[in-house]
Amino acid sequence: MSNFTRQEVLLQAENISLRFDKLILRDINFQIHNIVREGHNQGQVVSLIGRSGIGKTQLFKILSGLLQPTTGKILLGEDLHPVKSGEVGIVHQNYILFNHRTIEANLKIGLDHCGKEMTDKEKESVIKEYAGHFDLLDHLKKYPMQLSGGQRQRVSIIQQVLTGNKFILLDEPFSGLDALMIDRVKDLLLKISTLHEHNTLIIVSHDIETTLSISDTAWIMAAQEGKEGATITEEVDLMKLGFAWNPNVKKEAAFRDLIESVKSKL
Amino acid sequence: MNQLKQFFEPFAILKSRSILLLIVVQVIIALVVWQLTCGALIPTPTKVFQKMMSILGSSEFYDDFIASVSLIAQGMFISIAIALVLAYLSLIPFFRPLVEFVVKCRYLTLTGLIFLFTLLSSDGHALKIYLLIFGIVPFFLTSLLSVIDGISRQEIELCKTLRMNNWQTLLEVVIRGRLDQAFDVMRQNFAIAWMMITAVEAQSMSEGGLGTQLIKYNKYIDLSGVFAVLIIIFIVGVLCDFLLGKMRIWLFPYAKLQSIR
Repeated sequence: MSNFTRQEVLLQAENISLRFDKLILRDINFQIHNIVREGHNQGQVVSLIGRSGIGKTQLFKILSGLLQPTTGKILLGEDLHPVKSGEVGIVHQNYILFNHRTIEANLKIGLDHCGKEMTDKEKESVIKEYAGHFDLLDHLKKYPMQLSGGQRQRVSIIQQVLTGNKFILLDEPFSGLDALMIDRVKDLLLKISTLHEHNTLIIVSHDIETTLSISDTAWIMAAQEGKEGATITEEVDLMKLGFAWNPNVKKEAAFRDLIESVKSKL
Repeated sequence: MNQLKQFFEPFAILKSRSILLLIVVQVIIALVVWQLTCGALIPTPTKVFQKMMSILGSSEFYDDFIASVSLIAQGMFISIAIALVLAYLSLIPFFRPLVEFVVKCRYLTLTGLIFLFTLLSSDGHALKIYLLIFGIVPFFLTSLLSVIDGISRQEIELCKTLRMNNWQTLLEVVIRGRLDQAFDVMRQNFAIAWMMITAVEAQSMSEGGLGTQLIKYNKYIDLSGVFAVLIIIFIVGVLCDFLLGKMRIWLFPYAKLQSIR
């Protein structure tokens, strides 16, 4: 494994709590740093792991600025400003797209709001470049309902990338996929994360093994005995442990031990 | 045998030839039952058919037909415009009470309001348009609001993550994104408008129309004529429904992909 350093903070969760009729989340604090890796254009892949119904999706909405926490704030970027909706992309579990637009038009809407002045020809060229890169060139004229789940997921992710969002939250990206598809999605996410050094993927999942195998950092979300609401109970630094960026990590006995250990803490 | 079983199986997908066969068989059964069960007062299908041919052959029919169709087109156009504007305004809190009131107007009977509309309208044609609008808009609006209520939160969130403001979100998700469903609502509610045409035309008979013909045949207890006009109204309605359905697929090709039928 090549040398790496954790540099400036890119995203910071500060004392987040959320209460509806009861306390859902409490005392959530974490930081995502820019990881610089020698000889690589390395983005960040972090994960939030927890049981279903623990409040991952609520935290997810708070991180994206779609939901205001009861207390605390999410700070973003090099100047650590409070997050606003539109700064963090979301790829929902069921890959929501605009069903009335073709795939090309779905991707174009990302570019329409990217904040850069581009002609239609330039947009078309960028869309074709990404579509070619992610095996979607033959599907640009189709509608979302004509694509498979995996293809829709790719379109959803690229749509967010084209909007210019460096932070992309993925809600259960491996849910309901077979083993072969999981590997393809893993490759896709790694490809996205290395497109730009500041690209940061935040994966919310209960598939521990797959998620940990592509993450550099993971946070375990769980409830603590005698306390209301879920919080982050542990940070797992996969880089320090030597598991990050290792394509064969699933085969390592120490990694399997780590998974068992994480499972016991949920 | 397998195909016969398919006719009774939920969600079974039939070939268009099979669907046509089903329709033809059921129409034949209905006609046979009608022929065998009608007594002395009710005209037989043959008599009704003969009367229908004679009505279709008269020039008076085409004047009445055009009068009815132009009245309904005008009424529908204005009603759709009003219902769509109200439906979109329902997302702005200020207009919600007004929209709710219009929706509840479904429970107001037209009969008691005819006098009021007569006072408000300048002539018989305007009265008919007012009545059509008042009769159609609450139903249109109710259906359009249920389309809007069916929009998922996630779709709105997607717009926010794509940096759209609230107006852009409204345009993308509610207006553009649901245009096919709004068109379908119009198609479904066309039946209400078409059904109302006879009642509305009865209020002012000077312009003629299919409703006027129906009233005339009723007055002289010419049941063959009544049934013949009813069948013509029915066939025209079904034909319009079919054409609007085809137009929807042509205008919004993605609409077909979302249908389970």
